Parts: sequence; structure tokens; C-alpha cells
Amino acid sequence: MYTYNPISALLVFFVAGGLLYFLFRPAKGWYWVLKNQFISNEKTIIEDVLKQLYHFENSNNKVDMKTLVHMLSFSNKRIVDAINKMTVNDLIYFESDILKLTEKGREYALRIVRVHRLWERYLADKTGFHKIEWHDRAESMEHRLNHDEVEELSMHLGHPKFDPHGDPIPTKTGKMAQVKGVELPLLQVGAVGRITHIEDEPEVIYKQILAENIHMGSLIKVVENNSTRIVFLSEGEEFKLAPIVAANLTVAPLEKEVAVEDNVARLSSLNEHETAKIIGISRESRGESRRRLLDLGFVKGANVSIDLVNPLGEPNAYLIKGTSIALRNDQAAKILIKKD
Amino acid sequence: MKQNNIDNIIELSNELRWQIGDEFHDNLTESIYADAADIVKDSVRSNDSKRRFRLDAKIDKIVTSKRFGFPIMFLILGTVLWLTIQGANYPSSLLANLLLDTIHPALKSGAASLGMPWWLDGFLIDGVYLAVAWVIAVMLPPMAIFFPMFTLLEDFGYLPRVAFNLDALFNKSGAHGKQALTMSMGFGCNAAGVVAARIIDSPRERLIAILTNNFSLCNGRWPTQILIATIFIGAVVPKSSSSLVSLLAVIGVAVLGMAFMFGVSWGLSKTVLKGEVSTFNLELPPYRPPRFWKTIYTSLIDRTLIVLWRAIVFAAPAGAVIWLISNIHIGNESIAAWAINGMDGFGFLLGLNGVILLAYIVAIPANEIVIPTILMLTVLVTGVGVGEGAGVMFELDSINATADVLKAGGWTLLTAINLMLFSLLHNPCSTTIYTIYKETNSVKWTVVASVMPVILGFIVTFLVAQLWRLIF
Amino acid sequence: METKINSGCETCEHFNKDGLKKLGVRTDNFDFVVALAGNPNTGKSTVFNALTGLRQHTGNWPGKTVTRAEGGFEYNTKKYKLVDLPGTYSLMSTSEDEQAARDFILFGKPDVTVIVVDANRLERNLNLVLQILEITDKAVLCLNLMDEAERNAIEIDVRTLSRDLGIPVVPASARFNRGIPELIQTISEIASGKIICKPHRIKSVPENIEKAVKTLTVEIEKEFPNISNSRWIAFRLLEGDKQIIEALKTGEFV
Repeated sequence: MYTYNPISALLVFFVAGGLLYFLFRPAKGWYWVLKNQFISNEKTIIEDVLKQLYHFENSNNKVDMKTLVHMLSFSNKRIVDAINKMTVNDLIYFESDILKLTEKGREYALRIVRVHRLWERYLADKTGFHKIEWHDRAESMEHRLNHDEVEELSMHLGHPKFDPHGDPIPTKTGKMAQVKGVELPLLQVGAVGRITHIEDEPEVIYKQILAENIHMGSLIKVVENNSTRIVFLSEGEEFKLAPIVAANLTVAPLEKEVAVEDNVARLSSLNEHETAKIIGISRESRGESRRRLLDLGFVKGANVSIDLVNPLGEPNAYLIKGTSIALRNDQAAKILIKKD
Repeated sequence: MKQNNIDNIIELSNELRWQIGDEFHDNLTESIYADAADIVKDSVRSNDSKRRFRLDAKIDKIVTSKRFGFPIMFLILGTVLWLTIQGANYPSSLLANLLLDTIHPALKSGAASLGMPWWLDGFLIDGVYLAVAWVIAVMLPPMAIFFPMFTLLEDFGYLPRVAFNLDALFNKSGAHGKQALTMSMGFGCNAAGVVAARIIDSPRERLIAILTNNFSLCNGRWPTQILIATIFIGAVVPKSSSSLVSLLAVIGVAVLGMAFMFGVSWGLSKTVLKGEVSTFNLELPPYRPPRFWKTIYTSLIDRTLIVLWRAIVFAAPAGAVIWLISNIHIGNESIAAWAINGMDGFGFLLGLNGVILLAYIVAIPANEIVIPTILMLTVLVTGVGVGEGAGVMFELDSINATADVLKAGGWTLLTAINLMLFSLLHNPCSTTIYTIYKETNSVKWTVVASVMPVILGFIVTFLVAQLWRLIF
Repeated sequence: METKINSGCETCEHFNKDGLKKLGVRTDNFDFVVALAGNPNTGKSTVFNALTGLRQHTGNWPGKTVTRAEGGFEYNTKKYKLVDLPGTYSLMSTSEDEQAARDFILFGKPDVTVIVVDANRLERNLNLVLQILEITDKAVLCLNLMDEAERNAIEIDVRTLSRDLGIPVVPASARFNRGIPELIQTISEIASGKIICKPHRIKSVPENIEKAVKTLTVEIEKEFPNISNSRWIAFRLLEGDKQIIEALKTGEFV
């Protein structure tokens, strides 16, 4: 007690608190960084290289050593070591400067892609993690699951065909469904289509797409397309995107005749005293929440109207099949209706 | 052979599933509802214009309106709380009279005439009996008032509307609107609040409600807050406003508790609970006139008595421990005195003292016995000439006498403020801890729920103490 | 009101009032197990209390009974154990309460399942009813809250409903003990096999799913000729229900 004074006590407290913060703060804490360093061993590097090559080859791009080192966040030496080892093990080969996957390497890469996409699907359907985190979590998980665990996971999820972004999940044997569609900027004004894929990389652009509340599986109609922006209508709302952002959306064009009832809207846009029929639930609503909505009677053909408006703006209560059920706005935005 | 066939069936189902695609569940639910609609068309006739739902709708329009919704809500919940705290005074003192002032001496003299050795009589009557009697006297009346009233509101169907009105606030901190109710229930009793979290069917939000229920100032802690506020905080302002100021101080602590509840909910939902599944749905059931007596009866049986029983079960050994630590000596000091001396330094850092810390350790079973324990321990270490002897909890009839004892124990305004804060921010009572374990079935969450508030309490009281000493 | 309450079963004898004894929580040596299922907030617990003489708390809150409550009654010298299942909207999700309810109906093989529905919201309640009827064929529908339905001017043709669903339908207002004697009578007749139900099976299934379900059902019945709910199992397998797959492997169905 002899050395006590409030200032020194506070100092000790804040130093200790600061230290704990820097050690354990999420993602960037020193403890986590060290732990990651420890985990990211050779296997991780090899698998990341394979995956990068796979993606490049799929989009018909060529990669040399330089681009690759630039792409990956490991030290040059470790990457070079890994590449040497991969060449020896017949996973990749060089065609002059260009790196290429061997048949064996391609198979391995597909397996990694499979785990990545399955895990994203798992995160989407069975957990509460936010979309923005799926990719990074899957990035680290893809190196950790062994063969049996992956099969177990796939079964648990019901052998899904697509990941939540619309990318096809390779089957055990390497079969893959086809993503239909073209990049959004390639569509003409007046074209109608369905969003079949939302690219989650790079994160900056993905965040913009998320902020716009654009949903997988939505029908869209392009109303403006020029070099500065692309404007389209979807589910009763208007979206404006810069071409570079729009390029991350894949849209499958539809024949005009099939095309769309124009007055499709989101339940969140329903006003008091309006009535509507439910058309369906957007694919953005997944897993347990989707099932709950179905169980509560938000099914195709059901009549819906606003029962109570919330004094704080949300959740509003909707009258559905004789019962008043409150939904938050983000839930209501995923239910599609046709106003009467 | 058979196993083989079954594997084939499962293999077949997997194959078929891949073919059907992801829409299976949607399609099945839609077909069920389609069948349901067909059946209903055949057999149900309803006349929409005559529906009584209209009355419900009228009530709903008012209780969820922008203008009246919140005032009505605060009025109702405030009334319930006020009736509980005020209404409990009289039966509480009656019970205390009976159990503590009449039966306790009677038991003592009975034991003496039987020639019971002092240690047995002290252990059983001063320790076990007194703790149990205390818990009953302080706990039973408020709960017997609070629960039936709350249950009536529940049966009427008003509570889901409260959840509806408040959900947006809770949503911001990652919680569910129904947490408004588990929180209100917590003002009665945290253990009951934890059980009430069952109404939240989303796993993440339910855990949040359970883990943060302790931030609702429960019945066992209101009397402590009121007593300390009256003695110390009421005393620094002019007499005329002292009762108002001390009331405001208590309400301030309760509001601070809510602030912590929101803050911690937010923190939990952003960190450890991030990955738990989260869904939202809130059904607003039709209003139903509650059946008064039946509700009173069932709420007494189902809630009050169960909680009381658990509290008694935990209080009895605590009473024994309190008596033992004050009466078993090591060297020339009792265990209690050793412990108090040992913790005085840490207590000082927190602006508290060893007595308070020890009282909170031995009084984990029930917040109700914290004040009596503090008084007894203070007398034990200071030797002020009141009280009933080592290990015998007591309370003083006059607030002034209580103030004298505490001031003799070295209490200042800082001690009082920090005690009020620590009474809000410390581990849940053992009944609640046990209930949390039963409800979550997880040691991990039980530990989190128990340790997190104490750490918060340490941090807050520490900071307040240092700043206080810097300023004054 | 009284005149309207007529049991769905044609063969009802008069209710034997003297034969009824409410047993509260004493459920030892029972002859039949009766499960009580239903949506949240349909007055299920009130029905439970009316049947057993217990006084479980019944809040006006969806999802009140989460733990399973048990009670009993004796009627015409037979003892019935009553199990109050958690109120659920469906039996197809993975939430704890739905699993508990589903497991009991599927594996507990109750002699009778009483499905309590809110007469005011029959359509939404039928979602659960139709699912239960895929699992068990010994069931009775308790059309509760008839008093409210009457005030809301909702008329229900009990006979048609009973015919469409293929199970007896008993209108009731458990709060006022109306319809409870008829319910007890019906329960006893189903338990003793006097009433044979022919429950409704889900019809409007899309063609591709129906085909898959048929294929699976045939295979399942080849393996387990004696089970009555092969179609439900097929549904569950197509959803990849782990528990059902496990149960198939261990042969819990037989």
C-alpha cells in the first residue's frame, strides 16, 4: 500500500488492458497472428497456389512466377520452395515461363475448391455468421478438413449444387453444375435476367454489392447501361451500379415472354391498407430462418397485409393466414409479393 | 445383408436428393399448405365482417401507437415494479418479525433448555435457520406480488406487444425483442428471468438473454440499494430532497444495469456468439381475458415457490458457512477476520473493503443476506457494541443505527457508491447460476455468465475509486 | 354451444362420467400412452390440464411448454398416460423442441396422438396436423377455442373436416371444460381400436418429388414391411435428416 496512488494504479490498469487488447483483438491480435503463422505451413501454401492456378486457368489467364508471388501473402522464399516441391510431385509444370496444372494438380485444386464452397454453404445455412465473413472463414477451413470430414459435411448439407454466391460445388468425382449467364454490363438495355452469381472477391466491391441489398436469384431488368453506370430494376426497387461493380454480378438472360410480372415487390415495401399475394421467398433467406418463414405460413399464394406498424419502424406485424406475425425489415425484404 | 440394403436406401436417397435440388423443403411445405387450404375451403365458413378480431385490432392500435405505446408500457411496468417494492414492505416486516424476532429467540431458548452445546445451537439456529429465515422473509413477499401480476399481463397477451414495440432497440444490440420481457422478469428474480428466456426460440438471442439477465437489478438487491442510497447518498443533500435523490440514485443504478445489458448483448453478439444461428419471429397472439384466480394460483405454484425452494436449498449451507467462518479460529483470529484482512488491500483498490468482498463471497446463495452479513462482519472486526454475536446475522431497526455501524467500519460515500455498483455488477446468485446451467446445459456458458459480471464489477468500481480519489 | 358439440365419431356411446378419474402426475402402470401435440398458443396446456386435473401454467405466449410435461387419467378402468409435447409450428426443422415432439411421436409410438388446434386459425394449424398424420394413423383432432371461433363468426363443418382428415374431430373449449368428455371418449375408442382412422396423406406434391418419394417408399417397405409411415421416412431421407438415417441403421423403426 506504500506505493499506492491513484495515478499509478490507473496506469498499471490501462497498460495491462492495452496489452490484452493488442494480444487478443479479433483478427489482428498478436496472438492470432502468431497462431496463423504457425498454422500456415507448406500444405497451406501449396493448396493456395493450386487454387490460384485453377482460377486463372478457368478464366483463360496465364500466370508466371512473378504474378503468383504477388498474389499470395507468403514470403518469396517459402513460395519458391513450395513450387519446387510441387513440380517434383507432379502437381504443376512450367511451359516456358507459364505455370500450369497437371491432371493430378487439377484434381487436387478441385478438392480444395469443393471444401471452400461447401464450407461457405455451411456457414450460410447452419450458422449466424455474416456474409462478409464467409469467404475468409472458408479460406482457412479449406486447408483443415480431411476427406471423410468433407464427405460428412456434404451429406449434412444435402449435397448442395451451389455455394451461397452461386458458384457450383464440385462433386466428389469432380462433376460440376454449370453457372449460366453473363456479366451484367454485357446485357442490353431492356434485357431481363436472373442473378445467378455474386462474386465475393475483391472484398471492397463485394461490400458495395451487399450494401445495395442485391439478392441472389432475383429477376432484374436493365434500364440503363453506359460507361458510367448501369441501372436495373429488381423486385420493385431501382439499383444503380458502377460498371466495375456490376461486372461482379452474373445474370442469366431470360426470354422476353417468360419475363416477369412487373409488379413484383418485396414485402418490406408493402404499405398499410395494401394487400398482396406472396410469390416466394428469396434465395437470400437460408437455413433455419427460411424454414421458419415457411412454417409460419409465408408460402406461395398466401394473402398478406400489414396488421400493425411498429412505433420504432420495425419489426412490422403482418397478417398471414389469420395470425399476426412480426418480421424485421431485412426478413421482409426477402419475401417477394405481388400487390393486389 | 440387411445393413447392406439400408445403406443402399440411403445411397439412393442421396442420389435422388441431388436430382431434386435445393427446393425440396420449400416444395413440400407449399404442398402441405396447399392441402390445408383445400381442406379449409371445404369445411370452414367465416364471416369476415363480424370478426371480433376488430376489438383486438383496436387495442393493438393503441398499445403500439407512436404516441401512447411507450407511455402505456412504462406506466404498466413501472406500476408493477412499484407495487412490488412498496407492497412487499409490510408483509416482509411481518415475516421478519415472526421468523427473526419471535421464532429465532424461541428456538434459542428451546435449545438452551435442552442443554444443546453452544456450537451445535450456533451452527443450526444462528447459521442455517437464520439464513433460511432471512431469505424467506425478504424474498417471498416481493415474488408473491411480482409474479402473479406479471403472469396476469402475460396471460392477457400484452407482453408480446411490449416485445414488438421494443424489438428495434434490442435488434441494434444483436438481441431479440422478447428480451425486454426476460429483462423485466429479471427485475423480479434473475433465476425466473433466465427460465423465461425459453420464449426466445433463436439460439443466439436466447443465450444473450440468459447471459445478460443478471444486469437486471433483482428483488434481492433492491433493498440493499435503497438502504445504502438512503444512508449515504441521501445524506449529502439537504434533508428536503434527500429521499428524492436517493430514489433517483437507485433508479440510476437500475438504468445503468440496462445500459450494461445492451452493451454486453452487443459485445456478445459481435464476438463469442457471432456464429450461433439467429432467426427472428414474433407471433402476436389474440388477447384473452385471464382467469384471475387460476393465474394467481399457478404463478404462485409454478414460479414463486419453485424459486423460493431453490433459494432455501442454497441459503441453508451458506448460513452454516457464515457461522463457521466467524466462529472457527486459526491462531487468535477467526477465519472471517483472516479473510477480511487478506482482502482489504484488494477491496481498497476497488473502493470497497474486505468485509464487503467476503460478504459477497459467502452470500453467493442469495443477495438478500448480503446486508445482514456485512453488518455482522463489520461488528466482528470493529467490535462496535451492537449485534447478536459472532456469526449471527442481524439487521437494525433504525437506519441511523445501521449508518453508525457502517461508518464505524470506515465507510465513506465512495464505499457506498461502489457497493451499489458492485451490487449491480457481480456474479449471479447461486440459484441463478444453477438455473443457467440447467437451461443452457453448458458449463462454458455458465462460467461466462458467472464470471463476466464480476470482472465488469471489478473494472467499474476500480475506475470509479481511482477517479474519485484523484478528484476529491 | 352445447348442441353444436358433437363428436366426429359416429359410434360414440354415451360418455361414462363415473368411469373417469383424473390422476394428476401419478402415471405408473398405465395401459395407454397419449401424446398431446399442437401449435404454440392453441390452448394445448389447457387441454392437458383439463384432462389430467393438473394445473400447469399456461401463458398466452407462443412456446411456453418447452419441457415435456406428463400426467394421467383413468377412464373405464384403463389408465392413460398423457405426455404434453412442446408446441411447434412444424416437425421438419432442427430446433430442439421440434425434435423432441417429433421423436416422441415417431419413436415413442403413442397409442393415441391428440392434435390440438385453434379453431380460429385452422388453416395455419393444419400444417402441423398434416405432418403428424404422415407419421401416425392413430390420432384425434381437438378443435379447441370453439368459444372464440363462435364469437369470431367462424363456422366449422366438423363432419366434413373429419372426413377430409380421416380422423375423428372433437370441438372443444378446454377453458370451460367443454368437449373434454367427448375427447376422452374418443381417445379411449382409438386406443382400444374401436375407431380405425384413415388419415389424410399429403397430396399436392410436385411430380418430380412425388416420383422420388415413391421410389424410396418402395425400397423402404421392402426392407421394413410392417411400418406405416414409410412415406414420412422417405420425406425425411430426402431432407437428409441425420437422425432418421441413424434410426434406419439401428432399426429403431421396427
